[in-house]
Amino acid sequence: MSDNSGIAKIMRLLQFTDSTFPVGTFSFSNGLETASFEGIVTNASTLEEFARSQARQAAFSDGIVALLTHRAFLQGDYDTCKECDKYLMMFKMNAEARLMITRMGKKLAELGEKLFDDPIVKQWLDDIKAEKTPGTYPVAQGMIFAKAGIGEKELFCSHQYGIVNMVLSAALRCVRVSHYDTQLILEKMSNEVESLYEETANMKLQDMNAFYPELDILASLHEKGNMRMFMN
Amino acid sequence: MKAQIKEKTAAPEVDFSTAREMARYLTEPEAMYVGAPGKHGYLRLGFELDKDGKSILRDLDRRHPLIVQQELYFDEEMPEMPCVYILSSGGPNVDGDRYQQDITVKRDAFAHVATGAATKLAEMRFNYSGLIQNIVLEDNAYLEFIPEPIIPCRHTRFISDTRLCVAESATVVYSEIFMGGRKYYGEGELFEYDILSVCSHGERPDGAQLFREKFVIDPQLEHPRSLGIMGKFDVFANVIVMTPSDKADEIYENTQAFIDKREMLAAGITKLPANSGLLYKVLGKEPGPVKKMVREFASNVRQTVKGKPIPPEFPWR
Repeated sequence: MSDNSGIAKIMRLLQFTDSTFPVGTFSFSNGLETASFEGIVTNASTLEEFARSQARQAAFSDGIVALLTHRAFLQGDYDTCKECDKYLMMFKMNAEARLMITRMGKKLAELGEKLFDDPIVKQWLDDIKAEKTPGTYPVAQGMIFAKAGIGEKELFCSHQYGIVNMVLSAALRCVRVSHYDTQLILEKMSNEVESLYEETANMKLQDMNAFYPELDILASLHEKGNMRMFMN
Repeated sequence: MKAQIKEKTAAPEVDFSTAREMARYLTEPEAMYVGAPGKHGYLRLGFELDKDGKSILRDLDRRHPLIVQQELYFDEEMPEMPCVYILSSGGPNVDGDRYQQDITVKRDAFAHVATGAATKLAEMRFNYSGLIQNIVLEDNAYLEFIPEPIIPCRHTRFISDTRLCVAESATVVYSEIFMGGRKYYGEGELFEYDILSVCSHGERPDGAQLFREKFVIDPQLEHPRSLGIMGKFDVFANVIVMTPSDKADEIYENTQAFIDKREMLAAGITKLPANSGLLYKVLGKEPGPVKKMVREFASNVRQTVKGKPIPPEFPWR
């Protein structure tokens, strides 16, 4: 990494947030496929509610972990990064969600090692390969964004955009909505990210929480069922 | 003598003042102070095998308002199973109540623990009601913890922390059922409570942490009616099963995930982190069908682990 000017940072933020960034976000629908099949998400308004629940659920687990890792990485505190990784896996109750965050995490760690020459990122990738740490995506995001000189607010935006965009992109393939609908939802939800950041910014690992039983049941139906357009 | 009352221990302090979600609710109640006699319940239950190999309630200590009298052997499918109902003489949990329940099941022993009636959480104006539970299972022990539902009234505040310390060869079924509120009281008061904060975490006897699930439900921040949370449902059940992974696989295969929109009943199952067991969730409109699903699921666990089903619930329950 050579250029740390404002423009280069924005370029990196766009690069890491892009849905074609090769970590595999496109293969996941976060349960939308099942919600659509079950007639729970059927139109733009139910899609918006579904996307909002997904975004909030992610903010109070993945979001907190990404922020805490970002801060720890900047302090050179690898032990806390690993603690975040372990804690997040303990908190992810859904088996497919654990599969998703570790697959994407390892891919981002591999990319990070190639893009930046950093001893912590390298150590972390080695530990993932040696199965000493699970290697979750939010921890990878925290590390890579910090390494790239991107601030934690921008990291939080990227994390939220990633979740919402994952759901909305999948919606174009499995819900009766248009791209106008999905962009309107995205625009509306973008206004909510600031307050979500404020709610989560002071939280610690033990403050992580999630109460989304309907999403959990949808995830379970997908896990047990035969629908496989998406991996979750 | 089957159950011996051992020396009284001081009721441990139950303090959640470091939980950030309760920070708004730390005022001393104007009525009886936090932890006053009668507002600080403690229960210690210890099950073990006696010299004849019978599973008994060997250790019992309690502080009012929590009451356990003695174990009974009324399970028709497992007449060797000691069954205990936890009662509370105080009626609902009120403002500033604190409770701790420690349940230990020693090596090879087994037990069934339930409550005598639903746990009502009364309206609170100053403080909150807190519950700490330590559930410890030694090698090859077996525990069914299937209490009646929890009913949170308008403006109640409740926090719980449940530690499940379970040996790899042991099995625990730990269930909780939460009503949305007093649905048919007055105009109905669904989801009008101030906050429910519920944390359950699993570990091994060597201290290895396995999983941690925490709900913080604050209807002012995010309404439980939202799609993805409770949606159109009113009752929620959460069942944690820690059991060896071969048993978990078998139970998982025998358990259905479904959403039945006509009956307004839904259930889902997934595997807990660290291969430590299963997590089963049920959503429904009324408590009856949800309780039935939980019991059927627990019966599936008992069948897999003990080779016997749980008998049908008593008609008066």
